[in-house]
Amino acid sequence: MKIRIDDRLLEAAEGSTVLEVALAAGIDVPHFCFHPAFEPEGSCRMCLVEVEGAPKLELACSTRVKDGMSVLTSSPRVLEARKEVLEFLLAEHPLDCPICDKAGECRLQDYYERYGRFDARFREAKEKREKIVPIGRKLLLDRERCILCTRCVRFLREVTGTGELGVFERGARTEIGFFEDWRIDNAYSGNLAEICPVGAITDTDFSFKTRTWFLERGASLCPHCGRGCNIDIEFRRTTNRAVAERRIIRVRARENAAVNGYWICDIGRYSHPYWTENRSRFVLMNKEAKTVRLSWDKALIILSEKIKGLGLRGKGGRLGLIISSFLTNEELYLIGRIFKEAVGLGNVWLADPKPQEADRLLLTAERSPNLRGARELGFESRPPDFEEIEKRIQVLLVFGSGLREASASGEVRNALDRVPAKFLFAAHTGPGDDAFDFLLPVSLIAEKSGSITNTEGAIQEFQPVWLPMGEAKPEWEVLIALARELGFGEAWTDLTDVREAMAREYPFFKKSHE
Amino acid sequence: MDLTEHLFELDVYRGRGGYDAARKALGMSPDAVLAEVREADLRGRGGAGFPAGVKWGFISRDGTEPVYLCINADEGEPGTFKDRWLITHDPHLVLEGIIITAYAVGAHEGFIYVRGEYEAAALRLQRAIEEARASGLLGERILGTEFDLEVVVHRGAGAYICGEETALLESLEGKRGDPRLKPPFPASAGLFRCPTVINNVETVSNIPRILRDGARAFREFGRPGDGGTRLFSVSGAVVKPGLYEVPVGFSLKDLIFHLAGGLPPGRTLKAVIPGGLSAPVLLAEETDLPLDCDFLSRAGSIIGSGGVIVIDDGTSMLDVLGIITRFYAHESCGQCTPCRIGMSWLHKTVLRLVSGNGSRGDIDEIARVASAIKGRTLCPLGDSAALAVLALISKFRKEFESRLEECQIRSQSS
Repeated sequence: MKIRIDDRLLEAAEGSTVLEVALAAGIDVPHFCFHPAFEPEGSCRMCLVEVEGAPKLELACSTRVKDGMSVLTSSPRVLEARKEVLEFLLAEHPLDCPICDKAGECRLQDYYERYGRFDARFREAKEKREKIVPIGRKLLLDRERCILCTRCVRFLREVTGTGELGVFERGARTEIGFFEDWRIDNAYSGNLAEICPVGAITDTDFSFKTRTWFLERGASLCPHCGRGCNIDIEFRRTTNRAVAERRIIRVRARENAAVNGYWICDIGRYSHPYWTENRSRFVLMNKEAKTVRLSWDKALIILSEKIKGLGLRGKGGRLGLIISSFLTNEELYLIGRIFKEAVGLGNVWLADPKPQEADRLLLTAERSPNLRGARELGFESRPPDFEEIEKRIQVLLVFGSGLREASASGEVRNALDRVPAKFLFAAHTGPGDDAFDFLLPVSLIAEKSGSITNTEGAIQEFQPVWLPMGEAKPEWEVLIALARELGFGEAWTDLTDVREAMAREYPFFKKSHE
Repeated sequence: MDLTEHLFELDVYRGRGGYDAARKALGMSPDAVLAEVREADLRGRGGAGFPAGVKWGFISRDGTEPVYLCINADEGEPGTFKDRWLITHDPHLVLEGIIITAYAVGAHEGFIYVRGEYEAAALRLQRAIEEARASGLLGERILGTEFDLEVVVHRGAGAYICGEETALLESLEGKRGDPRLKPPFPASAGLFRCPTVINNVETVSNIPRILRDGARAFREFGRPGDGGTRLFSVSGAVVKPGLYEVPVGFSLKDLIFHLAGGLPPGRTLKAVIPGGLSAPVLLAEETDLPLDCDFLSRAGSIIGSGGVIVIDDGTSMLDVLGIITRFYAHESCGQCTPCRIGMSWLHKTVLRLVSGNGSRGDIDEIARVASAIKGRTLCPLGDSAALAVLALISKFRKEFESRLEECQIRSQSS
C-alpha cells in the first residue's frame, strides 16, 4: 500500500506503523520510548504526528498504516506539540550534561537542538532524586535524568526475561526501581546503558573515560562465540601521535536482524581488552635464551626453507599444524589448499577453547567465531595429540593462542621442546611464547578483511577497523606469501582471488558473493 | 419507598420482584436482550457516557476466546458516591444487572473491581454473591437454564487511575495499573487480551429495569438518545447533600435548589462542577440546563459520573484550582510525559501563587501548561484535568488576579 508522509508518497507494508515507514524513508520522527525490538509503548508522546482526518495528534509509533493515509510530521501543530513535550521532559531534567556520559549521543540534547530551542519557562523547584543508584554489576541509575521511557524495564522483561526492574510510585514521584535487593545480574546487562535514550543508566565500564564526540568507531564482528554478533568498536587515538595507536573505549551492539538483533552479550561487550592488551607487535626469534627481532621476509624464508628441508613429497608426516577457528574462512581455505595436499589432514589439528554452556539468547556453546566455517571447509575439532607431535613432527606451525597456558609448562611444553622448529602465529603475547623459535605477530578481526561463518551458517564479511598493530600482518597475507615461497597452491594475489577459488571449490561459500 | 431497609438481603430483594428480570432475560435470546438494551438508549454512567447497547454490540460472541465482563466499581472521581451506595444497599440489583449483561454478551466470568477504600461495600457485595450462589442465581445453570456465570470481587489498592478502564484491566491482571494504549479496544482485546465489556456499576444496575419494564418505559424517563434515570451525588454548599435519583434531563438548578435544599442561608451560588472533579466548572448563571450528556457537553462540560459539587460565594476559586491540581498531580499514573510532568508543574505553580510568590504572568503560564497537556496524553486523565483547569482559568481569571494581589500583600506584611 502507499501512504503519504509530508510531501513524499511511500510504499508501506501492511501492519507497519507510521514511525517505521517514516524512519525507513529517512524522515526523522523523534521518539524516546519506542524501540524497534518492542511493541509500541506510547508513553513519551514525542512522536505525535498529524494524521489527516484525525481530530487529535496521533502517535507515529503505534498508528498502523492504512492505504492512502496522509501524515504530516512537521506541521506547525506537530512542531508545537513536540516542543512542548520536550519542554516537559527538560523541565524536571537536571541539565547536568557537562558531567553526563551520555552527552553527545543523548536524545534529549539532539532533539532540543533540532526541535526545542526554547527558553526555560519552568520556574518551580525541580524534584530531587537519587543520582547514583547501583542497579547492577556495572550499571548506575540516575533518577533525575530518567525520562521513564521504560525501555530498560521492557528489555529485562521481554529480552532477558529476568525482570529485575519495574516502575514504582506515581505521578512526578514515579521512578524506576527494583524489588528489594534484586540487582541486575544477567549476561546481557550492558545493553541497558545502550538502549537508555538519555543518561539515566550509565555503564561504569565507560564512565568518565571520554566525551563521546572524541570517539571514532568501526564496524566489526564479535569473535568470542559462534554467533558472530555485529558490533561497533569505539576507540580513541592516543594523544601521542607518534605511537599512532588507539585505545578501545567501548564495544556496542550493531543492529543485524538476522544475526543478533539489537543486542550483544556482556562477554563480547566487556572483553575489549582483547583488542588492544598484550598484543604481539614484532617478528621475534627466540635463540639461546635471547629474543631478537627480524624481518617478516627473513622469517618467511627461514620457515619455507625448514619446510622444504623436510623434503615433503611423500614424507609430509614431519610437518604439523595446529590451527583454530579464530581464523577466517579465507585463511582456513588457504591452509587447506597449501598444506592438505602436501602434509595430509592427519597432521592438522584444530584446537579451540573448550565449549561452554550456550544461553537461550545469543551466546553459543563454542567460544570461537568460525567453527562452522572450518567445518564447511573440511576441518573438524581435533585436539592436538602431543604424543604424536613429539614423535613425528619436525616443523610445527601454530596459529592462534589456543595453546597459551598449556605451552608454558608441563606435558605440552615437554612435547614442544622436542620439536626442532616451532613457529607461533599469534596476535597476543603471553605465557608459553618462549616455547617457540619464532613468534609472528598477526591480526585480529578488527585489523583485517575476511569472512566468518556463524553457527547458523550466515557468512559475514568484515573490513578492518584499523591497521594491524606494529609489524603484525593478517594471516591470509602471510599464507599467500608462504604459498609463493613454497610454490604450493596457486598464485593468489589478494582476498578476491582466494574468495573466488573458495566459492568454486565449496558451493557453500558461493552465496556470500551472490 | 424505603429503599435501604435490608434490601441488601436476598429475600428482601426477591420479595420486591428481584431477579424476575434476570429470569425473563435468560428466557430470551442474547440478541433480543441486546436489542432491548440498545433500544433503551442507556448511556454509560461511569463518565464517558457511551451508549451501553452499542458497547455490548462490539463484542463478537463467535470467537474462540472467552468473553469477560468487568464491572467498574472503582468510583474514584471526587464528588461521586453513587456506586458505593448501590453496592452497599442494593447489591443484588447490581448482580442481577451483571447476570443479564453477561448473558447478553456471552460472558461466563465477571469481575467487579471495587475501589480499595470501599471495604464495607465490598464485604456486602461478597455476601450478596455468596447468597446468590447458594440460591442458584450465580454459578452453574443459573435459574435452571444452561447459562453459567461466576462473579469475582477484586479490590483495588487506592489508585484513581484504576478507574480508567484499561488501567483497571491491567490492575485486574495483577500488573501495575497503567492505562493501555488504544487501539486495541477492550471489546476486542481486553482482560487477558480477550474480548471484554467494561460497565459501570450504575450502568448495569439499570439493566434489570429495562428488561422488566421494557426499553420504551425506560426511555420515557429520559431524553432522546439518553434514557432512564440517573443518580447524582450532590455535595458541597447545599442544605441537603446526598444522593438523588432523577430522570435524565432533570434541571441542574432544580436539583441544587429544590431537591438538595439550595445553599445554606446567607450563601449564594458561585459555581458548580457538575460531573465529578474532572468536569469543567459551570458558572452560577450556566446552571439552568437539563442534566443529560449532550446538554452538558454543549455547555462546555460533561455529565461525567454525576458528582455535582456545589461551590458558594465564600469559596476561593484559587483554592478550588489548588484542589484540582493537587489531586491530579497526586493521581497521575506517571506513565506519559505531559500528564506526569505537566500536572506536577501546574500544582507547583499554583502552590507558589497561593503562597504569594506569583504574578499575573503565572496565570497565563498555568493556562499554557494546561493547553500543552490537553489532547496529548495517553489516557483521558490528563486531558480532562487540563480541561478542568482551563475552564477555571477562563471563567475566574479576574478572581485569580485579585486573589493574587491579596496573597502578595499578605505575604509581604507577614
